[in-house]
Amino acid sequence: MDTSGQEKFISRIRSALGRTARERHSINDVFTNKFTPEVGAILDRIKSRSEIERRQLLHRFIEMAEPINLNVITLKDDASVTSAIADLVRNKEPEWGDQKNIVAWKHPLIERLNLSHALAPQKVPIYVTEFEDTAAGDNSEQKERTRLRQKVTDSYIGITSADFCMADTATLVMRARPAQARSVSLVPSIHIVVIFLYQIIADLKELYALLKWDSEIKKEGLTNCMTFISGPSKTADVEATMVHGAHGPREVYVYVITEV
Amino acid sequence: MSEIFVGDYISEAKKALKNEVLQVALADLQNRFGRGTARAYKNLPEGPELRFKAHDIRMQAIENLDVLLETLAENVRRNGGHVFFAEDASAAVNYCLAVAEKHHVKLAVKGKSMVGEEIGLNHAFNDAGIEVAETDLGEYIIQLAGERPSHIIAPAIHKTRNDIGSLFSNKLGIAYTNDPPKLTWAARKALREKFLAADMGLSGCNLACAETGHITTVSNEGNIRMSTTMPKIHVAIMGMERVAARLEDHDVLLRLLCRGAAAQNMATYVSYIGGPREFGQIDGPDEFHLVILDNGRSRILADEEFREMLYCIRCAACLNICPVYGKIGGHSYGHPYSGPVGAVVMPLLAGINEAKDLCQGETLCGACQDACPVNIDIPRMLLALRAKLADGDPNWNVSRASHSEKAAYKIWSWIIQNRCVYDVCLRMAALSQKLFPKNNEMIRWLPPPANGWTQSRDIKPIAAKSFMQRWRSGEIKAIDSHQKSSIRQE
Repeated sequence: MDTSGQEKFISRIRSALGRTARERHSINDVFTNKFTPEVGAILDRIKSRSEIERRQLLHRFIEMAEPINLNVITLKDDASVTSAIADLVRNKEPEWGDQKNIVAWKHPLIERLNLSHALAPQKVPIYVTEFEDTAAGDNSEQKERTRLRQKVTDSYIGITSADFCMADTATLVMRARPAQARSVSLVPSIHIVVIFLYQIIADLKELYALLKWDSEIKKEGLTNCMTFISGPSKTADVEATMVHGAHGPREVYVYVITEV
Repeated sequence: MSEIFVGDYISEAKKALKNEVLQVALADLQNRFGRGTARAYKNLPEGPELRFKAHDIRMQAIENLDVLLETLAENVRRNGGHVFFAEDASAAVNYCLAVAEKHHVKLAVKGKSMVGEEIGLNHAFNDAGIEVAETDLGEYIIQLAGERPSHIIAPAIHKTRNDIGSLFSNKLGIAYTNDPPKLTWAARKALREKFLAADMGLSGCNLACAETGHITTVSNEGNIRMSTTMPKIHVAIMGMERVAARLEDHDVLLRLLCRGAAAQNMATYVSYIGGPREFGQIDGPDEFHLVILDNGRSRILADEEFREMLYCIRCAACLNICPVYGKIGGHSYGHPYSGPVGAVVMPLLAGINEAKDLCQGETLCGACQDACPVNIDIPRMLLALRAKLADGDPNWNVSRASHSEKAAYKIWSWIIQNRCVYDVCLRMAALSQKLFPKNNEMIRWLPPPANGWTQSRDIKPIAAKSFMQRWRSGEIKAIDSHQKSSIRQE
């Protein structure tokens, strides 16, 4: 039995549109899911981008990031990013409480930075949002979630990577995965993102073309939660005065590694 | 349905006009966002014409709404989400309450949602003993003050920093301050506790994508991400018209939505939500429910004259440019749907007779259509509503709004079709107007029922001699071709 009310609801719409169920447009008409030469050209453009073109996109990204207070720092290699993050941790104080904690995604790029080693002299612990034992059934999963959620809440800096970065709007794109908690880019006061230069694409058009038509990327699709982040959290609800840090991070730093 | 005060339009508008603080705030809002949005459209790579393309995309979606909603529901269910189709406000509210009761929800956090306001969700939850915390800063301020929002995206625009300072010091127990950053961070702290304690997150939805099975939420504060990431349950409520077919459509709609709403290239946070968390994912809700709401929309859909109103994506760009909204503010419209969009939507949802002042109050200047990211012809629909009020329409249960007005126009129509009668009336009017008080040769006051015309301005008297009289007496002559061309050059 249809308990969701769908049948009646849809038939009301159909009769409002003045057609019967049989006359409904064929799905292909509405969705036009054909691989067009235009989409092919977009995918080719992304794949065959030269070093110079990538640098141009980076400049566009930096230019668009500035007015929205998104800090973009271009660095040559992993080691420079590690030391830049260590400096940032030294200079920034926690918003809630005194203890400096950091939480990070489990992600190959972040693992390469070897941050726990770099932060050891400052005695700042770094937690990774990874289940210790995912196979042990629902109960332990729940416990693990509670534990990790506490780590995220206690941290003043969250470190993530991103799937893509759109230069035109200075937007980071993240898809939901196990071990890459959504809250790491949301709950801590400062959000640090580390990406490679080649992850920068031009705009929404390129992103949607990749999600829909790139044979690798479309396997995962949008996932159950795809998030765009363009700068730090902000509000203008008190007399239209801009304030950063409404509910999400007050500051966002993006480190772009130029040499793979 | 939530409380509707569309009948108080005139008295509320009078109050608003006298409220100097509100007048400054509205002027400031319109200066900033109205102009900013126009600039943002110009700076689009495709130019402002992209709005016409968006109009076509919305038209296509609405013309295929049955197929799109079926596809959306199918895809959301495939991703593990629940979909409920709600015929009216009470069906939607009852479903949300049932979900809340099943999970013993005590506290829900809510992102700003126009449909949430439309169905009166907060009231129903409070009546059931469940606390609902509004989390958008503007909505939070309004909720603490026990007031109603006065703008679709800047709900607390009518409150000053001093008002908010006193409110927060009373309700949150903090030391008085009127500093916007300090006030914002006080709310940040108070609401952070709510986000972490809440059992349920409620949100609206700005757009949806049928082919992928996702809803899209847009915010600058991060409150919607919080509400949809931290609690165990997420219930999203969407007006049935918000769906688009394809991701490519979102490229156009999302860019225009952000420009129309806040003159931004992109809002700080945009989330595509398509289902509950998967096993192994650390956060995100265990259950995701999507409630799709009709509540009078299918009736609008059925009338081709008003179907275009369903293209609306509720960005509030029309409020930020409307000369009427800019003076009377949002509260006059008696419902969270205010401004030009409210002036069309509210009569259609709440009754055309009941909300007649809303559509009669607008000026038909057309600024709303120019500002609309999807180029909706609001003036056309305002006129259509007025035509229904003038003649009545059984299809919409509209009775003729004013019999005397209709009679007056019938007489007027007879007068202007009879030259002699017209001339006599004109002469009589030219003579009798001498009785009325003057100010610099202008008439300062007319007796009822014409007194509305002189309430806030003086009007020009009828000329002593009519054009026809002056023409016949040779006082004015036709101009020759030489004069014509010099006029043209000017």
